[in-house]
This record gives sequence, structure tokens and C-alpha cells, in this order.
Amino acid sequence: MTAQAAAYRGRTEVRRITYDDQISRWFVFASVGWGIVAMLLGVTAALQLAFFKANFLQYFAFGRLRPLHTNAAIFAFVGNMMFAGVYYSTQRLVKARISSTLGKIHFWAWQAIIVAAAVSLPLGFTQGKEYAELEWPIDIAIAVVWVVFAINFFWTLWRRAEKQLYVAIWFYIATILTVAVLHIVNSLAIPVAAAKSYSIYGGAQDALVQWWYGHNAVAFFLTTPILGIMYYFVPKAAERPVYSYRLSIIHFWALVFMYIWAGPHHLLNTALPDWVQTLGMIFSVSLIAPSWGGMLNGLFTLRGAWDKVRKDPVLKFFVAGITFYGMSTFEGPMLSIKSVSALAHYTDWIIGHVHAGALGWNGLMAAGMFYWMIPRLFGTELYSKRAAEWHFWIGTIGILVYVVSMWVSGIQQGLMWRAFDGKGALAYPNFVETLNAIKPMYWARFAGGTMYLVGMCLMAWNLVKTALSGKAVDGEAEVVVEIEETEEKVPARKLIFGQPVVVSFIVLVVLGAIAFTSAIGAGAFMILAFCIVFIAVFLSWGRGQADKPGWHALLEGRALLFTAFTLIAVLIGGAAEIIPVLVLPNSGAGGNAEGANAAVHPYRPLELEGRDVYLKEGCYNCHSQMIRPFRHESVRYGDVSTLADSKFDHPFQWGSKRTGPDLARLGGKYPNLWHYQHMLDPRTVSPGSNMPNYPHLASKSVDFSLTETKVRAMRTVGVPYTPQQVQSAATDAKAQAQSIAEDLAASGIKVPADSELVALISYLQRLGKNVPPPVPPAKGTTVSLNAPVQN
Amino acid sequence: MATQSSTDPNKDKVIHEYDGIQECDNALPNWWLGILYGTIAFGAIYWLSAESFKTTPSPRAEYHAEMEKIAAEEAAKMKAIGSVSDESLLAMAKDTKALDDGKGVFASTCAPCHAANGGGSIGPNLTDANWLHGGAPMKIYGTIKDGFTAKGMPAWGPALGEERVRAVAAYVVSLKNTNVAGGKAPQGDPEQ
Repeated sequence: MTAQAAAYRGRTEVRRITYDDQISRWFVFASVGWGIVAMLLGVTAALQLAFFKANFLQYFAFGRLRPLHTNAAIFAFVGNMMFAGVYYSTQRLVKARISSTLGKIHFWAWQAIIVAAAVSLPLGFTQGKEYAELEWPIDIAIAVVWVVFAINFFWTLWRRAEKQLYVAIWFYIATILTVAVLHIVNSLAIPVAAAKSYSIYGGAQDALVQWWYGHNAVAFFLTTPILGIMYYFVPKAAERPVYSYRLSIIHFWALVFMYIWAGPHHLLNTALPDWVQTLGMIFSVSLIAPSWGGMLNGLFTLRGAWDKVRKDPVLKFFVAGITFYGMSTFEGPMLSIKSVSALAHYTDWIIGHVHAGALGWNGLMAAGMFYWMIPRLFGTELYSKRAAEWHFWIGTIGILVYVVSMWVSGIQQGLMWRAFDGKGALAYPNFVETLNAIKPMYWARFAGGTMYLVGMCLMAWNLVKTALSGKAVDGEAEVVVEIEETEEKVPARKLIFGQPVVVSFIVLVVLGAIAFTSAIGAGAFMILAFCIVFIAVFLSWGRGQADKPGWHALLEGRALLFTAFTLIAVLIGGAAEIIPVLVLPNSGAGGNAEGANAAVHPYRPLELEGRDVYLKEGCYNCHSQMIRPFRHESVRYGDVSTLADSKFDHPFQWGSKRTGPDLARLGGKYPNLWHYQHMLDPRTVSPGSNMPNYPHLASKSVDFSLTETKVRAMRTVGVPYTPQQVQSAATDAKAQAQSIAEDLAASGIKVPADSELVALISYLQRLGKNVPPPVPPAKGTTVSLNAPVQN
Repeated sequence: MATQSSTDPNKDKVIHEYDGIQECDNALPNWWLGILYGTIAFGAIYWLSAESFKTTPSPRAEYHAEMEKIAAEEAAKMKAIGSVSDESLLAMAKDTKALDDGKGVFASTCAPCHAANGGGSIGPNLTDANWLHGGAPMKIYGTIKDGFTAKGMPAWGPALGEERVRAVAAYVVSLKNTNVAGGKAPQGDPEQ
């Protein structure tokens, strides 16, 4: 407390405070426990892809297991780890104790949410949006718990004895604010039952909102909190100073501002308007430096301490974790280039990329933090350094095996999909050929994932042994508390209208004007923006050398203002991309408007029910519904998808991975009989397929009593059903089911007309077919489901 | 943000301390700044090129251009390999090289519905004398190429390409009336 302490000229007293470390102990062990569950699920999912018979129960078939795996890894493993680290470091960095009551509520409610997820996802309750699958009651609970966390955190900041906020705290602030905004906006839905809802967004709008959320869940749930944790635990473990404060400032603001814009890189070459795709791409590419700023500050902090890395497993985990971060944040921007995405999207390359981040960055940083924290939280030494070393090597080699096999698999399959033979036809017209070619890589991935899991188990054992060898101790500190504010504060007005804010505002306005001008104007505004930045930097050159604290140093002392600026920085990007697409849905908003104004007919009620079966079984985890504008895709799957195709899809089902073929234009391609046999056992019609069997769909009935509510909900979110169509929804659904059952009966197949299988077939046969619904029958007509089926 | 030399008095100077964590204020590495400014400049130029001046074509524009080029090439190729007729298909049905090609396509594309031996399962038996959409070589060729999607027969022309469609049509012509054992009951009308 050198220079800062001197600044406190007010009346002060020294108090002794005890930190609440119990909360961190709980969260660490919850993270380790759930982490093992998440990785066990991941290994099982990997096995299922290599060996379809591992889809042993309908509840744990790949389509339901994969969301369980991703949710567990993100929200249970990393979530609990983040809370452990945030609570531990925040109390120490701001010299104030958190509220233990709120902490306990946070802990137990979060575990309850995880249990609710672990029960509801296998049962098929899902919103059908990746990493946001949990249904609306759980979504509300998440929002409430997040608010509890936020209150506890900000209330601690409010009572802080250390006025200046350290960079770790900046990242925590950004995390808490942004995750709240993302979660609430993306989860908005109309409930139709206790555990069933439809997204209020449809088609391209939903796609944009979802990937704004999905990408920034990676950014603000898996990245920014872990960077904050890095800024606390790495210098602690290395006992070396952090490399550069000014690098912290620049990379923090660049990261939180730019990350938000990058979401559309998940939707490159799709029907999303071009300008949004281009924005997503350029901001993603520009993210290399802000991301690497974090990596540099982490790695350079070890200058002069590299010899310790050899001896200390904690530092090994941190160094490897930060290196994986650097690698992933280089790979990500490269994958966000439209032409690279053309090859990589929908393939395992993306799976490899996220696992380099999740296992490499999140997993290794978590391990480093746990190995550092647990001995301190239990006042003892790590039980086995050797076991930690083993964990490091098994885990790191496991990640490499995983990632490399996915690179090979992804690039190979991507190249096979696009290959044409000398005769001008697809070299591999049968999708399953491209799947069988990469099966060996699926086994390699299974091996790599298993190694990583073994390492996790080793860590769990080691941490438990460590805990048992000591006893829980809570950290204590003497802090200087200001009891009377006599320090002359710089007025908030001076900070709000500080030079960086004014310049940023002007530059953003100038750049925003590009949207409303011609090409020449766009160029002129860009040059103008560049000149403004240049002049501003020139004017402030050397001014920071003065003795008084600079603008940013003052801002660091004002938690509320800092929080407000962070919120504004993260809101700009999302607003600039999402609002035009929501407000001008059909214009293509300056970009590709192909098919935007075509007349689109909504699904018939049975098709909607079938779509719900599709969602419930998690088909989107393996099948896309978005044919990109490439010759090999239109030849393989049919005409390129347009905005209109998915206009009434709440939620959208464009998908992100093709373990199986695209289904956007599946309708009418095969007879009902083909679908029936394919759903019962895909291998009868597609030898070599790794798709699970779905025999239970033939025996499970659709609840037609909900159909009318569902159609009405769709009408509420803007799908143009007439009131008559809403009223006759159940009747029409039953009639359509009957006709499909009869068609199957003609081929000697007896399947109940009210089965989920028949509904699903009606949906699959509708995909890509924009057919007008039949005129609703007169009131009072009913169709008997029990009519004898004629053979 | 000037470059820091090894004699820089501020190098590794600790300026803050939080909970025992010291913080230096070293200069930003120039290569890092280069990436920062370079990628932002790339973004600006790419935006101008793709969205303002439209000199970089959109994915869709590129697609349409490629499809036009391919259509022209296809037309030229069709000219080169000659037109298809009952006679040409019958001739191919006797040519072992063509039949081998056709058999390969049949195994991967047709067998799932028509059985590996052509005896039929989801789709009809191709080894009997009855045909749903006509048994003349050109009828068979048309059925494969354009499909009867209402009846569940996909149009394979786009995925397989002209030459493979002809080869597999010739192979199906060669199956006609071979009446494999265990085939599906006849559907459709006997060939006239």
C-alpha cells in the first residue's frame, strides 16, 4: 500500500476482517464434482459418435446428452470455478468481506439449478437453442441467482476499503453485467406449458440473438472471469509483478467492446444479411490483439520466474492454460474469415477449437487455481505434487490428442463434402461416406477425452486428500478503513466528460454514420474517425507523465461509474447489430434480401408438433437446416436457404454442426416409409450411419390437447395463423396424422396415428416445402383416431 | 507508448500493489500494437471493399457466378459426350466398364431403398417385369435423373451428375427381368 495509502487523507482506522472462504471451499469442490460429471458425459457423447450402440437409453441419446454435457461443462464446472475464484480474490482485492448469507443462497440455488438441468434435459425439456437449452422456469431461476451474485459482489465493492479497483475486478464487473444482459435477452420466450416455451424471436432474428448470446457466453462466461482470475492467481503463484498496467487498460476495454460484435461469425455464409456477417468477421479478426493482450500480461508476469515453472505444478497449469488461450484466440479469428468458415463450419474443426478453449484454457486454469487455493484454504501443503504433475501431463496430452484428431477429422470431412470428381458430380454423394472416413478420429477423440477425465479424477483425489490433511481456515487481514470521507473527490462530471469518453463518443458517432451514407461517404467517415483518434492521441501525448492521476486511474476509484461505462461498452455492439435486424426484418437491411419477401406459409399444427419432437430429441445437435451458397451444398441438399425459409421458426434450427446431413430441404425427398424405417433403425436405409435408433417415438403419443395452445402462442409471437386455424389446430393435426398413418399402412406398416413418429415425419416432409395449409374444416367435424387402418 | 529500451528507467518499475500483487507499467510490445492496428485497418478496408464499394463479392454473388460458369461447362460437356437415347443406354448395358460404374453407384445410392441386388425394399423391385414409371431405358433414365418425388423417388441428377446417372440407368436396364430370389412383389404395370 505505497502510493495509494498516501492518498487516503481522511480519518481512518485499522480494522481486522476475516474473509468468507467457506464459500470458496464449497464452490471449488462443487466445480470439481460437476467437472467430472461434465467430462464423463463428454466422453460418453464421444463414444456415441464413434459407436452408435452407446446410445443406450432414449434419455441419454446423443441429442439430449450433448446439451447436458455442454451445460454441465460451462455452467456447472466453469461456473462453480468462477464463483470460487471471484469470491476468494474479490474480498482480498477490495479488502471487504462478502455477505455470507447471500453467498450461501447463491451456492445452493446454483447447485439446485444444475440438478434441475440434469433432470430436465434428459427428459427432453429444451428451448432448442445451444447453451440456452434450459426451459423458462429454470431460466428465471438463473436470472434470480445471478442477481443475488451481482448484489453480493457490488455490495462488497460498495463497502470496499481499497478504493482503487484492480484489473481482475474490472473483468468481474464486465462478466456479471454482460452475462445478465445476454441471458435475459436471449431467453425471452412465450410459455405454453410448465416446461415448454417458444422463443419470441424467429428465423434469422433468432439466429442473430442466439449467436450474440452463444458467442458472448464464451466471451463473458468462459473468458473474462477467467482473465480476472488469471490476474489474481498467476502473480500470486509466481510471486512476480504483473507485466503492464497500461496493457491491462487497453486490452480490457478493447476486449469488452469488440467481443460483443463477433457473434455473427457463427453465421457466416448463411441467410443472415451480409452486412451483419461482415461486421461479425471484421470484429472477430480484430479480437486477436485484445485477446493476446491478456495472454501477454499473463505470460510476461512469469519473467524471471520461469525456473519456478519447472518445479511448481500450479505454474505449469497456468502457463499451459494461458498458452491454450493464446492459441484458441488466434484460431478463432482465423475461423471467422468467411472463406475459412466455408470449410470449417459444421465440421469437427469447431469442436476441436472449443475444446482447446474449454479443456486447455478453462480446465487447466481451473486446475492451477484449485491446486493453489485448496492448500491455503485448509492451511496445509498439497497432498501430492507428483499426482499434480501426472495430472498435468495426462491432461495436456489428452487435450492435444483431442484437438488434433478434431482438426484432422474436420478438415478431412470439410474437404470431402466439397469435393467434385472429374465428371462434375460430387465425389462423395453419400453423406455417410464422409462420416465413415472420420470414424478413426472419433475413436482418437474418445481416447483424448478419457485421458483428460483421468487427470480430473486424479485431481479430485489429490484435493480431497489435501483438504483432509488440514482444517478449514479463513483468511484474515488488517485493513485501513476510511470512516469519514475528507478526501477531495474529482467530480463525476469531470470523469463522464473526460477526454477518452468524448473522443470515443465522437468516433462512434462518426463510424455509425457510415450506415447512412454512400460508399464514398463511408470511406470519408472512416478517414475522419482515424484523424480524430490520431489527434486525440497526439494531444494527450506525454500528459500522463504528470504527477496527478490520469483519467483511468480516477475511474478505477469509482466503481459505479466504471460499471456504467462497461455496460455501455458491451451494449453498443449488440444493439448495432440486433436492432436493425429486428426492426427491419424483411429488408435484408442493406444486405442480402434474397427471398425475404416471398409469401411463406406457417407450419400445419401436426408439423409444429413434429417440430417439437425434433427439438425435444435435440436433432439440431447433429443436423443443420441452412444450405449455404456453395455449389457443393446446393447440389447435395437443394436450393440455397433464404431468409424466408425459416421466417416462422421459433426457435430457429439452422444448427451449427453436421454430424448428419443438412435437412433444410428434406421434405418430399424420401417416402414416409423411408422415414419410418430410418427413425426406427437408421442403418436399414443408411448403412454405416451413427444416428441413434428412435423406436420410442412410435409408441409415445402426442398430446393434442396442447396443440391449440401451441398454435396460439405462435400467433402471439407473430406467425400469421388465422383465429380459425388456431381453433381447429387439434382437429387439423389429427386429420394430417391420419393421412400419414394411412399412407404407411398401405405399405404394411402399422403405427398409431397419434404417435410422435407420425408427427415428426409430417415435419420432416414439410422441410423446405412452402405449402399452403388446407382450408380448415367446418366446425364440429372430428376425425377419429381409432378408425381401423386399412391394409 | 514509446518503445522501451533496456535503459528505460520505468522498465519493471512497480506502480501499484493490491493484496500483495505488484503491478508494473511496461510499454506495449510493438509487434502487439502492430497486430492491433493492422487488424483494425484490415477491418476498415474489408468493410469498404465488401459493403461500401462492393468490390469483394458477397458469398451469394460468388455462388451465382460459379453456378453460371458450371452450367456453361455442363452444356459444353453434354455436347461432347453426345445425347442419351434408348439405344445408347442399351449399348452401355452391354459394356462391362459402364456396368461396373453403374453398379458402384447403385450400391451406394440406390441399394438402401431398392436392395443391394435390386430386389426392392422401400422402393420397388427392379428385377421383375413391372414398372411404376415405365421400363424403357429412357424412362428409367428420366426417373433416376428427375425423380418422382411425390412417390418418394428422389431426383438424383444434381447429386450424381449426368455420366453417373447414365451409368446407373444402364445398370438398372441390365437388371430388368433377372427376377432375383426374394424380391419384392411386382408393383406397377408390365413393360409394354
